[in-house]
Amino acid sequence: MSAVLQQAGKAEKGVLKGAIRIEDVVKIYDPDGAAVMAVDHCSLDIPAGEICMIVGPSGCGKTTLLNAIAGFHSITSGSIYLDDELLCGPGKPMAQPGSDRIVVFQNGALFPWKSNLDNVAFGLMMQGKLGKKEIYDKARSMMADAGLSGTEHNFPGEVSSGLRRRVEIVRALMNEPKVLLFDEPYRALDSLTKSVMHEALLEIYYKNKVTIFFITHDLEEAIFLGHRLVIMTSRPCKPKKIIDVDIPHPRDYSVLTSTRYRQLMDETVELVHEEAKKAFSAGEKEG
Amino acid sequence: MEIDQTVALLKRSMPFQTVPNDVLEAIAKLARYESYARGDVIYHQGDFADDVYIVSSGAVQHTLGIGFQAIHPEKILHSGDVFGWAAVLENQRSRLAKTVCLERTELIRINGEELINLFKASPETGDIVMSRFATMINKEYTLPEEVAGHVPHFTQVPVTVATGLTLTMFRLSQWLKSPKPYLMLTGFGILLATWYFTVEVWKLPRFVDMPGLTEVFKEWFSKDPIYGLSIYTPEYYQHIWVSVRRILIAFFLATVLGVPLGLFLGWSKTFREYVFPVFETLRPIPILAWVPLAILMFQGSETPVIFLTFLASFYATALNTMLGVETIDESYSRAAACLGASKWQTFKEVIVPGAMPFIFTGLQISIGVAWFSLVAGEMVSGEFGLGYVINTSYTMVRYPTIVIGMITLGIVGYVSSALVRVAGDYMMQWRVRELALGGR
Repeated sequence: MSAVLQQAGKAEKGVLKGAIRIEDVVKIYDPDGAAVMAVDHCSLDIPAGEICMIVGPSGCGKTTLLNAIAGFHSITSGSIYLDDELLCGPGKPMAQPGSDRIVVFQNGALFPWKSNLDNVAFGLMMQGKLGKKEIYDKARSMMADAGLSGTEHNFPGEVSSGLRRRVEIVRALMNEPKVLLFDEPYRALDSLTKSVMHEALLEIYYKNKVTIFFITHDLEEAIFLGHRLVIMTSRPCKPKKIIDVDIPHPRDYSVLTSTRYRQLMDETVELVHEEAKKAFSAGEKEG
Repeated sequence: MEIDQTVALLKRSMPFQTVPNDVLEAIAKLARYESYARGDVIYHQGDFADDVYIVSSGAVQHTLGIGFQAIHPEKILHSGDVFGWAAVLENQRSRLAKTVCLERTELIRINGEELINLFKASPETGDIVMSRFATMINKEYTLPEEVAGHVPHFTQVPVTVATGLTLTMFRLSQWLKSPKPYLMLTGFGILLATWYFTVEVWKLPRFVDMPGLTEVFKEWFSKDPIYGLSIYTPEYYQHIWVSVRRILIAFFLATVLGVPLGLFLGWSKTFREYVFPVFETLRPIPILAWVPLAILMFQGSETPVIFLTFLASFYATALNTMLGVETIDESYSRAAACLGASKWQTFKEVIVPGAMPFIFTGLQISIGVAWFSLVAGEMVSGEFGLGYVINTSYTMVRYPTIVIGMITLGIVGYVSSALVRVAGDYMMQWRVRELALGGR
């Protein structure tokens, strides 16, 4: 855990929730009887409130891990805990999806048939814990906080892809999740929009300290956002090296020109490139 | 005196040039004068952006932070130049640049929020000023349009008021202005001309026995038709009405039964295992093969025809709805599960609306095949209807009436599928707007 984070953790002791513990997780796919190992005895501890960047070549099995935490896929063995509560493990191969762990999807999953506001209100409306008026008031104010005023009544298809991503994050935060799971959410964005999105994401993070499990294959993104980088091996996937990013938060784009950033980039690029080459020669399909 | 000076300065600054005098005076009242010495820093990048500045005299160096993608991040500002515009941007309350005075400098500063509140009272002027701000940010400060796009708007953006009807009217007027209707008329012209020339002018072999264009149209619009059917005879409308009523009943039943069946087929794997093989075995049987059974099963002449029409329609609707459910991106159901929706809520909120585009495609096909099988049914059994008209006119050698029946079928069929399309557009505003933005 980085020093900054430890401080933050001390300052708000007991407030931060969402520690993820992955213990010895194995996932074997068995399509047509030919067993393929996607995740190989993977163990990883993510403290509450950390931005943990999972970096690895395409198709290495990062998403399999995310799907296991979210409850979309079963695991073969091992166990995953959220705040010491078993999500999945022996006797319970698949976690139950829930609003404490919300996924922000690769291609975005705002419902195109609902207005942005209805999308943001969706989670709480489904859970039925609050009245409609309270939910919509909260949705409006959260959208305003994220700089989305004026787009409430537009459909997602009518706004830019950058705005859509922001709406999707707000939709997740409405439910006060402990963990946000990002599945390469900015992959399809151009680099200009991406840089704006990164700063916006950090801004949102500083306001709502949640644990962030962020999958990417973009090193620049990983170092800029993360407290820690977990560099994964190519399939089967397990942590190859964990690197602390000791650049203090809050960060802005001036980080990209700092010497420390360059050093970290140099340290990691080699590691990642090695795995990418392995994945390439193994002929992994993009995924 | 000071107000006059400020107004004069504002008039020299690019964003405020075109503002009427009374508004300028109101703005001038918000302004405060300040002087700085050489080397003074007015603000740093990242400071809270409260005020907009206009240089009265002197020179200010303006250096944009990296990461904002300015082509020329450095700029020297002189009298009349505006900076500190981050104070009027939406969602951007921190300074993007560092500003340093290069010599003794006089400035006026105006609070951004007060300025915006003032423009809320005169939104038209506000929008002009803000669009000039956007131009300035983009052209003079060489920042990307993304940044310039953050200037506020004061007049209502009419996006939300475009309901189904106004949108349809707008599209209609756009359509009339485009070359499309004239190309369409040309297409019809070519068809009719071919008919006219092959039958009546050139009298080609095999064509010469067909009813000609003039003969058919004379009969169709005649007050005293030779073969008893024209737009002036009540029987004509009775036939149309009987056919339309059969279509309405059959189409209604097919939709009410076919859409839920298709939704459940797509949604529940178990249900599909039971039903789909049966469905797929029955589906390829041509409608005409059902005629004897339909007559045996149902009494009278009305129900068998409706049954046949329903059957064809039902398959098309159910199958397309099922495909619609299958094509919904899995992320949507997963997102719903993450957000705490139950299985039934997911069905209602995700599966049904997500399949809607396919359902309406299915309904378009369904109404088409409904007309197809209706005519087949009416030709075999029935006492009224357009199919019956065509068939009896053939046996009774009233050839022009056959063509009248055919053209009428074409028109009524076209109108019915257009109505389905309009209903679809009305129910799926999200899709209409999305497609409209894509230029379709």
